[in-house]
Amino acid sequence: MNAIIDQDDNQSPEYAIHTRKLNLWYGTFQALFDVDLSIRNGMITSLIGPSGCGKSTFLRSVNRINERLGYVRIEGDINVLDNNIYDPAVELVQVRKQIGMVFQRPNPLPISIRDNILFGHRLHNKGSKADQDEIIESALKQVLLWDKVKDRLNDKGTELSLEEQQKLCIARLLPVKPSVLLMDEPCSALDPKGTAAVEELIWELRGEYTILIVTHNMAQARRASEECIFMLMGKVIEHQATEDLFVTPEQKETADYIEGRYG
Amino acid sequence: MFAESDLNARNKRVQGLFRMLFLMMTVLLIVPVAIILFTLVSKGGGVISIDFLFTNPTDGMTAGGIFPALLGTVWIVAVALLASVPLGVAAAIYLNEYAGDNWFTRLIQLAIINLAGVPSIVHALFGVGAFVIFFGFGTSILAASLTLAIMTLPIVIVSTRESLRAVPQAFREACWNMGATRWQTIRRIVLPNAISGILTGVILEVSRTAGETAPIMFTGAAFFLPFLPQGVFDQTMAMSLHLFVVATQVPGVPEELPFGVALVLIAMVLIMNSISIAFRMYLRGKKKW
Repeated sequence: MNAIIDQDDNQSPEYAIHTRKLNLWYGTFQALFDVDLSIRNGMITSLIGPSGCGKSTFLRSVNRINERLGYVRIEGDINVLDNNIYDPAVELVQVRKQIGMVFQRPNPLPISIRDNILFGHRLHNKGSKADQDEIIESALKQVLLWDKVKDRLNDKGTELSLEEQQKLCIARLLPVKPSVLLMDEPCSALDPKGTAAVEELIWELRGEYTILIVTHNMAQARRASEECIFMLMGKVIEHQATEDLFVTPEQKETADYIEGRYG
Repeated sequence: MFAESDLNARNKRVQGLFRMLFLMMTVLLIVPVAIILFTLVSKGGGVISIDFLFTNPTDGMTAGGIFPALLGTVWIVAVALLASVPLGVAAAIYLNEYAGDNWFTRLIQLAIINLAGVPSIVHALFGVGAFVIFFGFGTSILAASLTLAIMTLPIVIVSTRESLRAVPQAFREACWNMGATRWQTIRRIVLPNAISGILTGVILEVSRTAGETAPIMFTGAAFFLPFLPQGVFDQTMAMSLHLFVVATQVPGVPEELPFGVALVLIAMVLIMNSISIAFRMYLRGKKKW
């Protein structure tokens, strides 16, 4: 399956997300300072750093969810698949369609599992009822949930276990065919077994989607990502292949952080 | 080591005392309700019959039934709901789902709170000026119902907002992040989950509307009418005004008649409230998150 391709350009760009001089303020508080990041297409990139370092803020500006707060001001560019998403001509609904988001607390909708999966699909496809069953099966299979729920698709999504809820939240993004999945600490509400299962699933999705995952858990970043970004006080300190970042960090701050000297 | 000390004993006595005090206050709350119901049933229960409910008053309202008043109250309440529910629910949706927190919405909030505090007799005068005279509806069901609708708008708005607020924000975020518009989110997720609370508010409004007297006595409710209303531009009798009339304005009414009227009125309200509670429990039982 191919990642979604820009209409003018049949080649997938090398970078899915590319920011230049991104600065962000909450009111008068500056949360991001000159963030230049290039996040590779089709890879899993993790964002680590101590609380308040701006990693979630960065994640949330990639699908423009931050701006809903009203007092957020942004300077600089964020390009997703070579399109500046802050361009005035950009339709927010299209941005959200391309860039799915998974939250810290699983938030399935209080409707059936079936309707949860079809929710996004129905928003973006007028009236096509034909292949609904196929869509559901394929989405649930991709998140390794099909065998568990195939006989109770009419149960409410909110009745599943937390691990299954989180998988459902990932599954419901897939029928809309996003190219980027943003995950904001997707395992922090789960127990170790659930965490392992969701990590496994994220790893399975590698290559098909560009995944950007914020995590507090360094072991998780190390296990479940290919590239890793370390942020501190709103700045990007280091961006490397995950193994290199953990084994041979170039910056002292990174080394201090991964050795647990702060955070 | 673990034996009770003097201080323990004293603390326990004080704690017991306060527990008793609070319990008594709570019981005290029920007493007036119980006395009212008991009085009404014992004094008015005797006049209640199918005939009482479904025949006209006779002998200068000293005998006969209450059918025109009963039907009139149903008319007034129904028309008032038709006006206030769409308006109130729409306003609440705007305030809760669309509007940001700015001076404009705070002004509206303030207006709603003040609207709730306006005495009903002032609403009555407003109704006369606005609906009876300015819009030319005359003294009619329409004028009376619109007056009541405006009076009860705060109830609908506040209760609707409360139930919208009770829908977890995470559901909205989930929708928005899949590219749903505000309206799609409201229509598919927020309203279905808020509907039980909204309906509860509506039913509370019904009971309030059914009991009001002042706002309708100048705008559409009549002292006595020998015929039933045919449409919204007719005047009508109403239960609340009828109670006032037979209790104070007409000589020679047998003592149990006003109690009977009051009993029917309060029964209407209690039945509506019970339906509301049962309905809410039913819908609550169905939702899980």
